[in-house]
Amino acid sequence: MNQKSNLYRKEKIYGFLFILPPLLGLLIFTLYPMIYSIYGSFTDWDGLGQMNLVGLSNFKDLWTDELFHKALFNTLFMMLGIPIGIVLALLLALGLNRGVPGTTAFRVIYYVPVISSLAAVSIMWNWAYNGDYGLVNQFLDLFGISGPNWMANKYTVKPALIIMAVWKGVGYTMLLYLAALQSVSRSYYEAAELDGAGSFKAFWHITWPMVRPVTFFIIVTNIIGGSQIFTEMNIMTPTGGPEYASASVVFYIWQKAFGNFQMGYASAMAVVLGAFIFVVTLIQFRMNEKQSFDVD
Amino acid sequence: MLKKKGWFTLLSLVLLVSVVLAGCGGNNNASSSSNAGSNGGSGNSQETKNLTFMFRGGPDEQKAYEGVVKKFEADHPNVKVKIVVTAADQYATKLKASITGNSLPDVFYFESGDLKAYVNSGVLLDLTSYIEGNSNIDLNNIWKYGVDLYRYDGTMAGQGNIYGMPKDVGPFALGYNKTMFEAAGIPLPDKDKPYTWDEFIKVAQQLTIDKDGDGKLDQFGAGFNVNWALQAFVWSNGADWIDATKTKVTIDDPKFAEALQFFADMQNKYGITPSTEQAQTLDTYQRWMKGEMAFFPVGPWDMSTFETLPFDYDLLPYPAGSTGKSATWTGSLGIGASAKTKHPEEAVELINYLTASKEGMDALVKAKVQIPNLIDMAGEWAADSSTKPANKEEFLQIVEEYGRVLPGHYTYNAEWYNLFFTDIQPVLDGKVTAAEYVKSEQPKMQKLLDKAIEQEEKSKK
Repeated sequence: MNQKSNLYRKEKIYGFLFILPPLLGLLIFTLYPMIYSIYGSFTDWDGLGQMNLVGLSNFKDLWTDELFHKALFNTLFMMLGIPIGIVLALLLALGLNRGVPGTTAFRVIYYVPVISSLAAVSIMWNWAYNGDYGLVNQFLDLFGISGPNWMANKYTVKPALIIMAVWKGVGYTMLLYLAALQSVSRSYYEAAELDGAGSFKAFWHITWPMVRPVTFFIIVTNIIGGSQIFTEMNIMTPTGGPEYASASVVFYIWQKAFGNFQMGYASAMAVVLGAFIFVVTLIQFRMNEKQSFDVD
Repeated sequence: MLKKKGWFTLLSLVLLVSVVLAGCGGNNNASSSSNAGSNGGSGNSQETKNLTFMFRGGPDEQKAYEGVVKKFEADHPNVKVKIVVTAADQYATKLKASITGNSLPDVFYFESGDLKAYVNSGVLLDLTSYIEGNSNIDLNNIWKYGVDLYRYDGTMAGQGNIYGMPKDVGPFALGYNKTMFEAAGIPLPDKDKPYTWDEFIKVAQQLTIDKDGDGKLDQFGAGFNVNWALQAFVWSNGADWIDATKTKVTIDDPKFAEALQFFADMQNKYGITPSTEQAQTLDTYQRWMKGEMAFFPVGPWDMSTFETLPFDYDLLPYPAGSTGKSATWTGSLGIGASAKTKHPEEAVELINYLTASKEGMDALVKAKVQIPNLIDMAGEWAADSSTKPANKEEFLQIVEEYGRVLPGHYTYNAEWYNLFFTDIQPVLDGKVTAAEYVKSEQPKMQKLLDKAIEQEEKSKK
């Protein structure tokens, strides 16, 4: 009896020791900074000296800050890439799922951008988008189209970034879809065929509902990731692009915090962004619950 | 049994950790006791003092600075310097993060524009006493412009105590493609008498050519990046971004609008520069290096790159506006020490070695990444006609006579000034006139400047 409880206690200690590192990591690197920045958002902290509480004034300023509104709009606009990426990835996955020859090669080709460093990818696309000797415009030249200088034009800079983001993300999404497709039982399709359903009907009534959990996962993670988009614009348009047309919220936060000594104000923006992500994700989970109910 | 073994493991772990920690502590004890023993003479040479030096720069510059630091270590056997190099665009972020995180390197680069903020919050070590009483340093032999950039008396930058030393001074001169002038049979510009704006346009137009007749220009008069070249035109026309008290944005001055309009007209009216769409820095820089551009700004940091260009280039003063005088800016990067450094003496010693010693300067200048900080050395350097450009004297004249600080330097942050360039594109494209732009932009910039001033007041308390 005594022996057993000692063993139990010992395992408990070991168990605790094993989860301690990630737990500490969470506390030190996530929870603590989060609480610190929430506190910071109510102060005029410049990132160097002391913090004075200023109430809600940072949040009030955000209401009238044109650049913040611009950055917010840009961030939302660039999320247009999410549905485009989903459709493309699903089409690719459907294609590869048919067992065309060279499937493995294609999977590798589509997945390479995913594992490449975002910084390297950004530099590469920056060359491709160059107005004079960029690959993109040289390609357009073949069709007699003289392309714009993508990164220096406020109308093309956002689409250019979207195209790049889609290219970068499509392999990962495709792989998820491919896994989901392969877990759909053949018997459903056989039954559908017997009932005389065409391939579109089979897709709409079997495939699409069956991969819905994956779609949900992709949308949620993409929106969270898309809200925090930063590296691309930091490298490709280091000043925020023509007329700030490619600055994202995180980019603006970074500029305020590290360029202009306004850590408090930047914290307020971070809090707003965090709340936005939280609410949007919450809504998605609610909607997902409702829909699951409907389908069943 | 089990229980015992468990405790044994734990115990040995504790032991191990304490041995490791004691090892570190023991070293300290040993060195401090040896200090105490030999405090009579200059004999704490036993003790190794560790300094961290954080900086940034291109590959040539990195190599040069690493070499100088090695030499410093050889001259100072009791000092070990750990070098931290960061990519240029991440430097500011890293520095500010290390300030917030209380892990500032002993010696580091910093922007002159950040001086006020760093001094007010006690980040920078006051170097005055170390420098002014130092027999190795002759402040009269270092560019006054450079040293003054790192002086601050609590209200105004540019005077008072010294909180950093200039790594270098970077006069942004105007270059021209000499070979191209000769090929076109155009008389070379006078190195002492600037062009007027009209003359400049005329020469540049003669050099803007469609060589192969395909309807596309392949040689341009000039290529100016608005962020770095507009200053020369605005200042030489007698205008500025900010008034003398550094509290009022003055871009709504008609003389300012005139200069900005002229800048935009170079493209839209006179057609001497590549279209704005094509005029990203990289492109004009590439064009200049390919020999497709007559005039292009040249900084001393470009000398090592431009040395191997397939054409000859030289420097001339910027075209002068209504004041009749050339203008341009001189950049600089400071080297400062952390107020919390454990070895202030050695930290300052390193700073001096990098900025004011003959040995250090010699190596850096040979690497062709900067002009000498020491005035007597600069004179010799400029007279040396074996290296390009021939008129290096122009660099020195800019530093000594007509170079200025960028307008953001004197204010707590440069947000107000940066906004000017964020919104400028429609003017360069000719969609908005300069007069309209300065009128609509002034209040926005003033608002940000007011905010910066307010911030500065708070930081002093």
